[in-house]
Amino acid sequence: MAVDKMNELHKLRDKISQGGGEKRIAKQHESGKLTARERINLLLDESSFNEIDAFVKHRCTEFGMETTDAPGEGVVTGFGTVEGRLVYVYAQDFTVVGGSLGEMHAQKICKVLDLAMKMGAPVVGMNDSGGARIQEGVDALSGYGKIFYRNTIASGVIPQISVIMGPCAGGAVYSPALTDFIFMVDKTSQMFITGPQVIKTVTGEEVSAEELGGAMTHNSISGVAHFMSNNEKECIEEIRRLLSFLPSNNMENAPIVSTNDDLNRVEDVLNTIIPDSPNKPYDMYEIIKTIVDDGDFMDVQPYYARNIITGFARLNGSSIGIIANQPKVLAGCLDINASDKAGRFIRTCDAFNIPILNLVDVPGFLPGTNQEFGGIIRHGAKMLYAYSESTVPKVTLVVRKAYGGAYLAMCSKDLGADMVFAWPQAEIAVMGPEGAANIIFKKEIENADNPAQARNEKIQEYKDKFATPYIAASRGFVDDVIEPSATRPILINAFEMLSSKRETRPSKKHGNLPV
Amino acid sequence: MRKFLINVNGNSYEVEVEEIRDGATVAMPAAPKAAPVAAPKAAAPAPKASAAPATPAAVPAGAATVVAPMPGTILTVNVKVGESVKKGQVLCILEAMKMENEIMAAGDGKVSSIAVNSGDAVNTGQVLIVLE
Repeated sequence: MAVDKMNELHKLRDKISQGGGEKRIAKQHESGKLTARERINLLLDESSFNEIDAFVKHRCTEFGMETTDAPGEGVVTGFGTVEGRLVYVYAQDFTVVGGSLGEMHAQKICKVLDLAMKMGAPVVGMNDSGGARIQEGVDALSGYGKIFYRNTIASGVIPQISVIMGPCAGGAVYSPALTDFIFMVDKTSQMFITGPQVIKTVTGEEVSAEELGGAMTHNSISGVAHFMSNNEKECIEEIRRLLSFLPSNNMENAPIVSTNDDLNRVEDVLNTIIPDSPNKPYDMYEIIKTIVDDGDFMDVQPYYARNIITGFARLNGSSIGIIANQPKVLAGCLDINASDKAGRFIRTCDAFNIPILNLVDVPGFLPGTNQEFGGIIRHGAKMLYAYSESTVPKVTLVVRKAYGGAYLAMCSKDLGADMVFAWPQAEIAVMGPEGAANIIFKKEIENADNPAQARNEKIQEYKDKFATPYIAASRGFVDDVIEPSATRPILINAFEMLSSKRETRPSKKHGNLPV
Repeated sequence: MRKFLINVNGNSYEVEVEEIRDGATVAMPAAPKAAPVAAPKAAAPAPKASAAPATPAAVPAGAATVVAPMPGTILTVNVKVGESVKKGQVLCILEAMKMENEIMAAGDGKVSSIAVNSGDAVNTGQVLIVLE
């Protein structure tokens, strides 16, 4: 008797673990995709996966669904470990009714989200679904709604990572959009609200699915996604890497990863990395990689708004978030997209207790009607808001230009930077020498015998006097002017000093972030 | 009828744009003064006008335009017509926001035309160089 029961269990479990069957699995592999179970096994530490709700079935009896068997309800859910740390996971199974989302499919996902929130552990959700299961009607819609609600409530409590590994269309895109990070795989993943067919019918535009919502589109144009990989294996490795920079929840700190990189490492190359001419660009990535542990920098949104760099690294083993201007792109100006990218990243760091390092070389906000009409005022405000609101340790290093409102927007002392350092080449002033001289010395230049010469003299006078870090340092806006070569030990000291930082804010329901 | 070469995400589209001078566009400025009923009527033809250029003409085989990423002044043009260029090669220097921005080739190619000279002021999106 007992043997029969065991056999029945094994038979059922075997069938469920086969998903949509061999044929569909082969088709999935042919299109360069792994199955839900293969993905989960790659993500989690070896044999650490514990499945939940394998026996769940749909309750739909309409449109022939009563005879449709959907093993696992088209989604595999459970928990396991990544580098020994608890992680919850769900992976939609495209081989089972196209991974379509119905009432019970959604319920499985919600159960995992609820558990993750109670236990304070990250959730990784792998999306590969044809969309709502139309046969289930409003029950399917309700399923989406329940997931969105949980994504929102869990936001800022546990890290939520979405992975797009197939189609993700219509309302389904909003669950990833509500989470902290979106990974996409080149050529095999797409996200859009309305697909190419609908667009063609309504507006007449012809666009391929890949062009409309592929990985590169969302990584470079829309800024919806944060990471792009060439294949699923690479993608899953990057997810594991990202998790290593994040704490399990908002009450913990990110794990410390021991390093052999000398914390007193002095780098003479930093003394000469800034070109003599303030008009010459250089690559900010070189500074970042020279300073951080083992040169290991995880670039977040590397293809979007490349005039600002955001990403994770470590100093003496501890996670930090870096926000840096990139003089090589758009002169390092702040614009709408850069503000959105940085504002979001600052809040991600603050939510998860990751200290922030700002590397500043910013000439100002990008001028132009498209910027003003696009609302650079409210977008730029996001950076000011995010910095002011954040309570994690914040260290700002001005490596060259820091002018006007952009100087403030890159986390000046007044916006809450705990420590501000500057390299000797730093120019911290209300505006650039040319513009300032034209305004301050307007009359003197006009009345001079040789206005052009007088203008150049006045520009030089302004440069010598104000385009330095010493005026700001004399007011205490800069805590110290440092030798570039000693940047790494000085930053490590600063973050160590700040590690016990406690800062409270007045209690409120929530602030009103400009969006 | 005017022809434009529009560069979207590395793909060039040759687009023909025609300004419609019938009741639609001419009536527009007068619309606020006119009776409220006139407004919806005037608005209706607008989508048609904008839909016309949406179907791109055939892309000139392999051509790629290099456009100004922001407003500024061309400091130097580093290439000549007919010259072969490699991906990442600096084509010209655009001085903007007091920075000598290096404008680079997005891919290998040959310079088929240069639309600017040193000293020219350019706007965002303006075509600087066409590669083939």
